[in-house]
Amino acid sequence: MSTITFDPETLEKLQQQKPTRPWRKKPTRFTASVTLAVLVPALIVAALYLRSDIPGPILLVIIYLPLQLIASGIAAWATKGTRGISDSVIIVNSIGASLFSIVVLVSVIGSLIVRGLGALSPQFLFQNSVYISPSTPLDYGGIGHSVVGTLLIVFIASLISVPIGIATAVYITEVRGRAVPYVRFFVQAMSGVPSVVAGLFILTIVVATGAFNQSAFAGGLAYAILMLPTVARTAEEVLKLVPDDLRTGALALGSTRARTVLRVVIPAARTGIITAVILGVARVIGETAPLLLAAGNNDQTVVDPFGSPISSVPTFIFNNVALPYPDAVARAWGSALVLIILVAILFTLARVIGRGRVGR
Amino acid sequence: MGGKTGLVPDASQLALRDLQSAATSHRGDRVFTRTVAAAAFTSLLVLAGIAIFLGLQAIPAFQTQGWSFLTTTGWDINTTPPTVGIFGMLYGSVLLSVVGLVIAVPAAILLAIFMVFLSPPRLSRILTNLIDLMAAIPSVILGLWAFYILNPTAEEWQVLLNKYLGWIPIFENTSGNFLGTPFIAGFVLAIMMIPIITAVTREVLSRTPPDLINASEALGCSLWTMLRYVALPYGRGGIVGGIMLGLGRALGETIAVFFVLKLVYETNWDKIIESGGGSVATLIVSRFGEVSGPLELQLLLAAGFFLFIMTLIVNVIANLIVSRTGRLQK
Repeated sequence: MSTITFDPETLEKLQQQKPTRPWRKKPTRFTASVTLAVLVPALIVAALYLRSDIPGPILLVIIYLPLQLIASGIAAWATKGTRGISDSVIIVNSIGASLFSIVVLVSVIGSLIVRGLGALSPQFLFQNSVYISPSTPLDYGGIGHSVVGTLLIVFIASLISVPIGIATAVYITEVRGRAVPYVRFFVQAMSGVPSVVAGLFILTIVVATGAFNQSAFAGGLAYAILMLPTVARTAEEVLKLVPDDLRTGALALGSTRARTVLRVVIPAARTGIITAVILGVARVIGETAPLLLAAGNNDQTVVDPFGSPISSVPTFIFNNVALPYPDAVARAWGSALVLIILVAILFTLARVIGRGRVGR
Repeated sequence: MGGKTGLVPDASQLALRDLQSAATSHRGDRVFTRTVAAAAFTSLLVLAGIAIFLGLQAIPAFQTQGWSFLTTTGWDINTTPPTVGIFGMLYGSVLLSVVGLVIAVPAAILLAIFMVFLSPPRLSRILTNLIDLMAAIPSVILGLWAFYILNPTAEEWQVLLNKYLGWIPIFENTSGNFLGTPFIAGFVLAIMMIPIITAVTREVLSRTPPDLINASEALGCSLWTMLRYVALPYGRGGIVGGIMLGLGRALGETIAVFFVLKLVYETNWDKIIESGGGSVATLIVSRFGEVSGPLELQLLLAAGFFLFIMTLIVNVIANLIVSRTGRLQK
């Protein structure tokens, strides 16, 4: 505890100063200038939009943006001096960039809801599209066959990629062999494989060789290629969070290395590993190109994973988007809404489960 | 994170390694270790498999076409031998990605700056979730949206661009058709790249040591000078890597581009608002539906091979840059 001493003259000066309240971050003058800087350009442009016939985009880019930049520049100059001007440019532009992204997102999600909701009905979700042509009214047929197909394909992909993905993560975090940097590198490189290339690959080694038809199995293999890197990388992050004390404890009790991993480490990271699987599924569930190549298309409900081509939600959307029939397009919007809801549910599940602490 | 990064990490690490190597002598463990190691190399196996099998298919295509497969543009199957070249498609993929990058890079970096340095924590948490959601939109849905919602708006913008900036060569349009242009396709790619670049940039910017930021503020730096001299140089490697990752995604994007780009078998060099362009990935999907025979399929597989090589190179460079900066920052 030290005290600061001032000479009497300075002390008197200090005491005469008004309290500056440094904790009050925004003085009124600042607030006023910001409010003005936001309101004035917006009002001018709104007036121009209503009163003149300048097209909207020009108004936005040629008039509003420069006007907003100048207004905030002046406001910043008034409160913070010349140095404030470059700050105001950054602030205005970064708010603009955020708004741009939000507008795009709202537009996508909003249009899905507005145009897709009309198509949804129990029959749309559960019936298949046999006897349905693109011009058939929406009251008949549905995407039940595609939903079954997507679920089957994703299930097969998970059966293949989840064990391999977790084993890869175990190799990186538990075995810690010499090749760890290389394995990491290859997993990273694999995550960059374009989905259409994964589809082509499965087409050449599975379908073109005559081993299997276009089928849920072939589609699942293509999905597994895309899913594996996500599962492996997320599982790696999760296994790293398991405290070393658990490992040393298990080993010290005489457990073998395999038992330590299988009975202690993986159960401890259970929730995290479920998250990894869900993220992997969410990553692939909307992929279209690999299924166009490897799984084909079908109007009937197929449950045989090997024999025949199979429909899926993404390929159903793909086939209906550009058709000149309003009902087919409405089906595309409806199934797009179903697909995005599936993705959203998966991500929410991953968040909720992932929030549970590792080790419980 | 595991609490092992304190002053005395070595003792426990050593103990763990000793215990593990002592346990490895067990026979079941050797089986376990080998199984896991074998699974770990699946990724290498798949990468090699793609390169080998698509590469083998590319050989016949090369034998009939020679180097003109890579240096010319065209897709005529009916002549014998077919005259096919994918230069315009490869170039088109790059052109679309560049258009996308021009839009996405400034937007993503500014967005990340907003999230890290400007917005209140609660808002930036909401934004993070929204950006994640944006990344999760399947490309077929983005294609559907672009086809019906973006197209009319973008057409209007492009007409205006052409009207007022038409004297700049890249904004020329002689056909009067403003749909199916590289600009629209690039815009859709930008929407896909923004979440990727933003996520990486936000990550590296938020790792800027607070000491450096505080010091720069104490020295009287404004936000701009702090970004210019502290945060951006510090995160430069990561940002470049994030951009490359986005580029890798854009080069391989298929379905969304399929709906908004009019595929033409000639090279569109720089007319970004002229209808018609190329993209390898889209070529594969659009030709596959009406493939005429095994020869054309082989040509498509060859195209896929070069797409794979192109994206692999971009991704490897990106990951090297990202992991190197990651190490520097630790």
